[in-house]
Amino acid sequence: MTPELILGLLLLIVGIAAGAYPRTRDYLDRLINVEIAATGLMLVLLSFNETISLLTFVAVTALATAVLIRVIERRSGI
Amino acid sequence: MIPVLVCAGIGLYAACRVVLEPETPRKLLYLSVLNFAVAGSIVLLVPDIMALFAAAAYFVGSTLESNAIASTWAGGVKRT
Amino acid sequence: MMEYIIAIFGIIALIGAFTTYLRTSPFDKLIGVAIMTGGVIPFVVIKGYLDVAIVIALVVPVTTIFMLQASRRGMR
Repeated sequence: MTPELILGLLLLIVGIAAGAYPRTRDYLDRLINVEIAATGLMLVLLSFNETISLLTFVAVTALATAVLIRVIERRSGI
Repeated sequence: MIPVLVCAGIGLYAACRVVLEPETPRKLLYLSVLNFAVAGSIVLLVPDIMALFAAAAYFVGSTLESNAIASTWAGGVKRT
Repeated sequence: MMEYIIAIFGIIALIGAFTTYLRTSPFDKLIGVAIMTGGVIPFVVIKGYLDVAIVIALVVPVTTIFMLQASRRGMR
């Protein structure tokens, strides 16, 4: 049980709770809350020494955020 | 190990001040203090020359992020 | 001595996560994400992956700038 694994699992639990039950029912708030869970999963991958997987996950998270922001803008800002 | 502890303590104090401030511009002031403390502790943690570049990259990225938040809060770029 | 430093950065990351969850304004939530990133990056550095730390420190602000594009539209 390294400190990275403990902190990563804790952040993952907080992020899942924040993504499932947000304070306000808004798309942008929920998307920002999902970022917490992504950071926790990144830390869990770090504790298992998976370097290539970590780099790929960070890049794919940025691309997915760009696509989802485009969708949210088109949906809510008519 | 004492300088790293001092830098981390300053970072913890700055994080507590960011959380307790009610207004957004004052939050950004203490957020920049937190960024300085973390960039200093990255250099002091690992005795390697590559840590200098990591601290420089973190400093550039966090300053860009903080300035983007401040610019958008103040109204953003006026579109002509 | 090293345990206290790790504990302090873990506390900073948890403070960022909880203030991201509990605030309701988008700007305050993005400031919380910035605090959490500042707490997580030293764990990557202590582990020894400095190139991964460089990539994370340069990719996360791009994500924040993408989110700011939508928050300006919703605010005004």
